[in-house]
Amino acid sequence: MVNLTIDNIPVSVEEGTTILDAAASVDIKIPTLCYLKEINDIGSCKVCVVEAEGYEYLLTSCRTKVEEGMVIHTNTSKVRAARYQMLNLLIANHDTRCFSCSKSGDCRLQDLADEYNVEYSMYKGVKTNRAPSKDNPFLTYYPELCINCQRCVNVCNKIVGNGTLHGAKMGARTIIDAPFGPDWKETDCESCGNCAQVCPTGALMTKNRRAYRVGKTSKVLTTCPHCATGCQFYLIIRNNEIIDIEPANGPSNEGKLCVKGRFASFNFAQSRDRLTHPLIKNRKTGEFEQATWDEALDLIAEKFMEIKKKYGPDALAGFACSRSPNEDCYMLQKMVRCAFGTNNVDNCARVCHSATVAGLAMTLGSGAMTNPIHDITTDVDVIMLVGSNPEEAHPVIGMQIREAVERGTKLIVVDPRDIGLAQKADIHLKLKPGTNVAFANGMMNVIINEGLEDKEFIKERTEGYEKIKEIVKDYTPEKVAKICHIDPDHLREAAMMYASAGKAPIIYCLGVTEHSTGTEGVMSMSNMAMLTGKLGREGCGVNPLRGQNNVQGACDMGAMPTDFPGYQKVKNPEVIEKFEKAWGVKLNTKPGIFATDVFGAAINKEVRGLFIFGEDPVVTDADQNHVRKALESLDFLVVSELFMTETTQYADVVLPGMSYVEKEGTFTNTERRVQRVRKAITLEGDMKPDTEIFIEIMNRMGYKQPHLEPSEIMDEISRLVPSFGGISFKRLDNGESLQWPCPSKDHPGTPILHVGKFSRGLGWFYPAEYKESAELPDEEYPFIMMTGRILYHYNTRAMTGRTPGLMKKQGSSYIELNTEDALKLDIRDGERIKVSSRRGEIYTKARVGDKVSKGETWMPFHFPDGNANVLTNAALDEFARIPEYKVCAVRIEKISG
Amino acid sequence: MQTKSLITRNELNEKLSVYTRKYSKRIKGTPPGVCPVTFIRSFVESASSQTCGKCVPCRDGLPQLSKMLEKIIEGEGDEDSLTEIVDLATTIRDTADCAIGYEAAYVVLQSMKTFREEYYSHINNKQCLGEVGEKIPCVSYCPANVDIPGYIALIGEKRYEDAVALIRNDNPFPTACAFVCEHPCMTKCRRELLDNAINIRGLKKYAVDNAHADKVWLPKSNVSTGKTISVIGAGPSGLTAAYFLSLMGHHVDVYEAREKAGGMLRYGIPNYRLPKDRLDEDIRSILATGNIEMHYNCMINRDISMDELVEKSDAVFISIGAQSGRLVPIEGIESKGVASAVEMLGEIGKGNIPDYTGKKIVVVGGGNVAMDCARSAIRCNAESVNVIVMERQVDMTASPDEIFGAIEEGAELLTLHAPLKITSNENGEVKSFIAQPQRVGKFNSLDKPTVIPADRDPIEVPCDIVLMAIGQKIDSESFEKYSVEPVRHIFETEPTTRVKGYEKIFAAGDCVSGPATAIKAIGAGKIAAINIDEYLGYNHKFKAHIAMPEPKQNDRTHYGSTHLTFVSARERRRNFDPIENGMSYEEAMQECNKCLRCDHFGCGVLVGGDI
Repeated sequence: MVNLTIDNIPVSVEEGTTILDAAASVDIKIPTLCYLKEINDIGSCKVCVVEAEGYEYLLTSCRTKVEEGMVIHTNTSKVRAARYQMLNLLIANHDTRCFSCSKSGDCRLQDLADEYNVEYSMYKGVKTNRAPSKDNPFLTYYPELCINCQRCVNVCNKIVGNGTLHGAKMGARTIIDAPFGPDWKETDCESCGNCAQVCPTGALMTKNRRAYRVGKTSKVLTTCPHCATGCQFYLIIRNNEIIDIEPANGPSNEGKLCVKGRFASFNFAQSRDRLTHPLIKNRKTGEFEQATWDEALDLIAEKFMEIKKKYGPDALAGFACSRSPNEDCYMLQKMVRCAFGTNNVDNCARVCHSATVAGLAMTLGSGAMTNPIHDITTDVDVIMLVGSNPEEAHPVIGMQIREAVERGTKLIVVDPRDIGLAQKADIHLKLKPGTNVAFANGMMNVIINEGLEDKEFIKERTEGYEKIKEIVKDYTPEKVAKICHIDPDHLREAAMMYASAGKAPIIYCLGVTEHSTGTEGVMSMSNMAMLTGKLGREGCGVNPLRGQNNVQGACDMGAMPTDFPGYQKVKNPEVIEKFEKAWGVKLNTKPGIFATDVFGAAINKEVRGLFIFGEDPVVTDADQNHVRKALESLDFLVVSELFMTETTQYADVVLPGMSYVEKEGTFTNTERRVQRVRKAITLEGDMKPDTEIFIEIMNRMGYKQPHLEPSEIMDEISRLVPSFGGISFKRLDNGESLQWPCPSKDHPGTPILHVGKFSRGLGWFYPAEYKESAELPDEEYPFIMMTGRILYHYNTRAMTGRTPGLMKKQGSSYIELNTEDALKLDIRDGERIKVSSRRGEIYTKARVGDKVSKGETWMPFHFPDGNANVLTNAALDEFARIPEYKVCAVRIEKISG
Repeated sequence: MQTKSLITRNELNEKLSVYTRKYSKRIKGTPPGVCPVTFIRSFVESASSQTCGKCVPCRDGLPQLSKMLEKIIEGEGDEDSLTEIVDLATTIRDTADCAIGYEAAYVVLQSMKTFREEYYSHINNKQCLGEVGEKIPCVSYCPANVDIPGYIALIGEKRYEDAVALIRNDNPFPTACAFVCEHPCMTKCRRELLDNAINIRGLKKYAVDNAHADKVWLPKSNVSTGKTISVIGAGPSGLTAAYFLSLMGHHVDVYEAREKAGGMLRYGIPNYRLPKDRLDEDIRSILATGNIEMHYNCMINRDISMDELVEKSDAVFISIGAQSGRLVPIEGIESKGVASAVEMLGEIGKGNIPDYTGKKIVVVGGGNVAMDCARSAIRCNAESVNVIVMERQVDMTASPDEIFGAIEEGAELLTLHAPLKITSNENGEVKSFIAQPQRVGKFNSLDKPTVIPADRDPIEVPCDIVLMAIGQKIDSESFEKYSVEPVRHIFETEPTTRVKGYEKIFAAGDCVSGPATAIKAIGAGKIAAINIDEYLGYNHKFKAHIAMPEPKQNDRTHYGSTHLTFVSARERRRNFDPIENGMSYEEAMQECNKCLRCDHFGCGVLVGGDI
């Protein structure tokens, strides 16, 4: 500890503390302007200077560390004079027409000028003659307001790790080279807006922020509705309208947001094309007609009861929405189980991470990310990233990985494409799609041969080692290299690098799961981690990055045909008994069918009535024509939605639900963190909270479900789900951040799973053998096609497509082709081409380059003008019934003429 | 009657001279990365402050010129503004009576050619070119970009091992560089603005004397990548590349024609400047990274063919240096007793010290190698050593310390003399050296004065041995098909060090640049290693993380700079023992304390402001 006095107050702080922080520890506030903790401490503005006895010169308190015996004065006349001078110098070069600046009232420079009585500068400054940059749809830069504090530059380079924003020179003056000009589309700028967030003046602002002044606005803290990173932010509201978003310092986003979170999280909710009334399809005209809630709900109850009576409860099914809160998902599955009387309930995890849920549950006992995001991106030696492109799909996690790599963490990227992070990777294994199991077995072969396995861990905590050892014996690097189309040296090095690292997490995503052998792929990930003892401790683990904002929650809440809430198995009679008692109803003991199997069952007339809550399977599910046929075959389809979609076209009744800004609830992010969603606005229209819709239907179908508020629903969940036992709105609203398992009210939550013991007891080495993808390229369809997400859009674009700036950045479909293949086919970059598979054909634009390997192609799945899912193959995984989105065979054709 | 006073107007000037010294220090300390146009404008400003006020073009023209440049700098100029500047500057150049006016205008005109792109950048983009922007002077001037403020701070904390380790993050030859680096890092040291540049090399020497390189921890090498890279030549460039490639986990085969590693550090630089046992400390630590296999006495196309090497390696790095000495093609050059400096120094490097007792030696050349040669000859007990130098002493490329050291030890300098002829006796043995006196002439295009034959008679210097130290050439015959430039025999490479036209062959060091300094070869070797790794599809991280001490406040007291001293000439001329004395603890700490930490207080904290 270092002892000093500040303004005559004795202070004792740890060595390495700045004078600024030391002062703050005794509530002495030293003014700052350019300083931003851990982001910008360059000491440029000199507003934070202080006087120290024995020092001839003033000290910059934000970056001068305390020394023993220092005597500091923070507010002497000398200090004040210096601050006054600094403000005069800055304001001389700053356009002070504050009336025309929307940052007025929220401007650090203005605040300080007020405090130090600087009405106008005593100096005549040099006004810049540089034009503003404002072509970017989201961001603007007005140089005449810039004080060159470098906050934006440091955020872009050090925190976001994107590095497109730079300082430049104009003679002796520093300027900011903001990439928002006419060529904004061609720059590497991701438009995340984190730069604008930190600007202390009105120089660098988002266009949303330019449209209002503080004072007349209010804020509501909530959770981002895009990916499962679970970023925390505030909705900024004026007159019952959301006008902006401001990041909060959440545990997973640490003050950052991505382009989608910041700019595409509220337009959709307030969009004019929201559904505002229940609609019933007129059977004669085929047109939807507006109806009252009573009409719609009665019709639904009547039709579903009719089917239930005639064909049994298992002729009904329901899909939960993994974008909606836990409370909604819980009530939907309760409706399906208690009122429909079937376990035919599922959610879209089926098509993304069901393999994770099934696989990790089998091997470890819990199908979720084992370690927190912060833990696996801070102070780790190696990150092994498999089939995951977080820079685009989980951008705020991507930023944290970039930051880690910048700090010296080694990176192994296992991905068929040259994704952005591959450029920063120590090793990139550009493997053939669909060969993950072979890759993992090869890794284990090397690890065992090199004697790098963790023998003690294997002995104490696992089972099945001898069998896996036997299996992987065959997977020599040379053999695996042939299967995976990689260099055997790369495999050996990756194996040794991973195995010999002290702390090394595996981070993976849909490149592992979305295969007909997805579950085995997942289990292969846990095999590698167990083999090297990298589970149940800091900076390690097996870490699936979940897709949807609440897909973790939808699974946790039991929107799964095999599991009651909290992964309590339908097959277990004790579980049935428990829920029968709790819910007061006789339950169906037969596990339900998976969402992906529902389509086949509908065509076969085994399923006749379907309730779809907030999903658009026509667009998102593999083999679109098959899905369309299934929906057509249904006797009765109900869709609860925000918008008319491709899927609602097939519905008999469409119900207007509510978006996340209109209701209370919780989302569970990828790291099992349960976070609040809060009502911010009330929109005009006859929409209902989805929980109420389900409660109404339950009651009308004869199951007595009392009305419950979302917080009461969470209380019911905590009573029935042991891992949620201690979670309540009250605790969350008190500022606690809880990761399940959180079994009791005084439990702090569990950041790292499997510490000391696996949820399953012993970890199980699943003996996985490599199997080829279901559909391999042949003469007729010679290319492998993969699908995936891009930074600027989210799935069906229901949200991002209603944000015009994102559509401006990327508004249409394309397919990535390898240069050599394109040359052979005489296809040029940007040319419109035909892509077909055994299931259909589409037209799209070629994007030629070396991002994909020869013989492989890649398509984003967002765009209706060439929907990749017309082509994809609904070949299903044996365990999780996940479709093989990542591999199907296609033909590429030049459009003649 | 008019009274005269002893006090002249110069009194004021004398007072000003303190400030002119400050001014020239300010100019000397101009940091890398300043805007050239802005700099020229400040030049014109100072020129106009010197005007006597007589001639209109200078008195009134220079201030106008300054304003015009200001307009360009602020991005308010256009093509016409440039024409106006040219017109006015040309007129000033052509009409001003004295140099204050015409030379200033000439400099402006010249700058418009040299920095044409920068002028246009201000006009068209309203900003400087991308490369303008201040950098940390020492770090950016070091060809290996060693973190100099960092290691100075570590030395200041007495963390000598960490200091050596930090140097090794960029340069695996901390010891060799501590002894012989030409220290370009010191040329722009910001300390010059206060008193004098920090003695950076002296501090480095203090560090390696307190923590011998081979005893200092090494970063953990990466696991094996299974890739093999062949390095040809175990000089500073080759071993640097080998060191970093080895840390990255690649297997490195180093092929060295001689019996030991070190290249010119061993075979060119005499022991009294760089003791072999100290060089070995660096080499031992390089080899200790674990993935390097040395193949000594292995000559390309004699013991192994280049084609075979290319075939069997994943990448090849050529760093053969410039090994053979040049001879001036004058009459008598074939006489017995004529040798090149590199031959002589090479033999001494091997330990074969010739006995020059009773011999008169002539050394030809004015560079550091000539000084090495002369001073070595003295140590071989030569009767006399005459150094024949074409240029004036001030124009010699040898460092002043070396020249002064040679003279102190008894070498005689015959400057402004060009080689003319070597005479020999009946046995063909050297008898004398005949040189033509020169005189200094005009400046050449490189802004250096030329020499031309003087109108005087040649002189004859009786001698037994002539040592030519006029440069080295590259023995690249074995590599002819690999982009060797036919005139200078250098390898033609891209800026990435990749040999032009070849995917997996890289080259750097003297064999690319022509004879240059060790640190340049080291810097190039590091770049080559990084690019070879990248070519093989990796981005291996190789730097060790070292926690840095907190920067201290600048000590603004002016201190004299600490120069290293030498063993007395009388003592040192007797043998090849090292001659330079290190710093004392107090000296080292005073120098460390002087560091202004430009990495913390200066541009180093700005994004892109380090190198």
